[in-house]
Amino acid sequence: MNSAVNEAAEADFLTLKDTTMVSKHLPGDLAMWFFILAELTVFAILFIGFAVSEQLNTEMFTEGKAKLHQISGLINTLTLITSSYFVALALNKMHQGCGKQAAQLLVIAKLIAGLYIGVKLWEYLSLFEQGINIETNTFFTLYFMITFFHLMHVLLGMVILVFVALKAAKNEYNENSISGFESGASYWHMVDMLWIILFPLIYII
Amino acid sequence: MNFINTNKKNTLSWFWLLVLTVVSTYAALFLSFFNTQKSLFISIVLFIVFLKGQQIIDVFMELKQAPKFWRRLLMAYVILLPIIIGLIYLL
Repeated sequence: MNSAVNEAAEADFLTLKDTTMVSKHLPGDLAMWFFILAELTVFAILFIGFAVSEQLNTEMFTEGKAKLHQISGLINTLTLITSSYFVALALNKMHQGCGKQAAQLLVIAKLIAGLYIGVKLWEYLSLFEQGINIETNTFFTLYFMITFFHLMHVLLGMVILVFVALKAAKNEYNENSISGFESGASYWHMVDMLWIILFPLIYII
Repeated sequence: MNFINTNKKNTLSWFWLLVLTVVSTYAALFLSFFNTQKSLFISIVLFIVFLKGQQIIDVFMELKQAPKFWRRLLMAYVILLPIIIGLIYLL
């Protein structure tokens, strides 16, 4: 009886210990998180700059926003969220040691991100056709600067995911060495999170 | 780690993010159509930004299981930035 109680207590302790160990795990490399913080800071400055400029040029910004295609902004938000979802599923597969399935999910995530790039380029082209470019006024200078800077991050994120997917397909990650995968995934989620702030700021408010 | 639960959480979070995105876009269109107070509509949109950011940080980035410092740092971003932007628009 006593030994059964002791075994149960030991099992509880081990579960608690496991939970504590899991709860202290920062996904990915620490260096990647500092990089993410730096990126977030740069974007925060751009977002605040945009909001302040809007307050100084309310009429110009209202007219500028009216020329943007809100539905394409909405589609881009949905594509980035969905792409992020597939990256999260891929990481879960990788935790289970299924490298090939994880790589397949990353390919789906990248295809969806490709849709984002297509819509964004279409949006730029339709503005150019209306004679609008980066020099039109302060609103469009900031619009092109912030959205293009974000687009560059999407492209960088896709390049990172290509490398991560190739390594995953070759089963080069294992349970003890998965931080490269986690770092790539965290970077991708950051890109998604930035768009979630950018979209309402530039297209909606 | 419970992989099935993680998948469920990811799927629920994804669905919730899609709903919030569509709601915030159409709420903005709806409220502007009816000339609702701009302060109310900005507050709603920015609050939804916080809710979405929190989902990404806790579920997709898996920071709910990370050291508290890092979760708090990222959460501070999605709390403070919408507040600063809101203050700029509303004051």
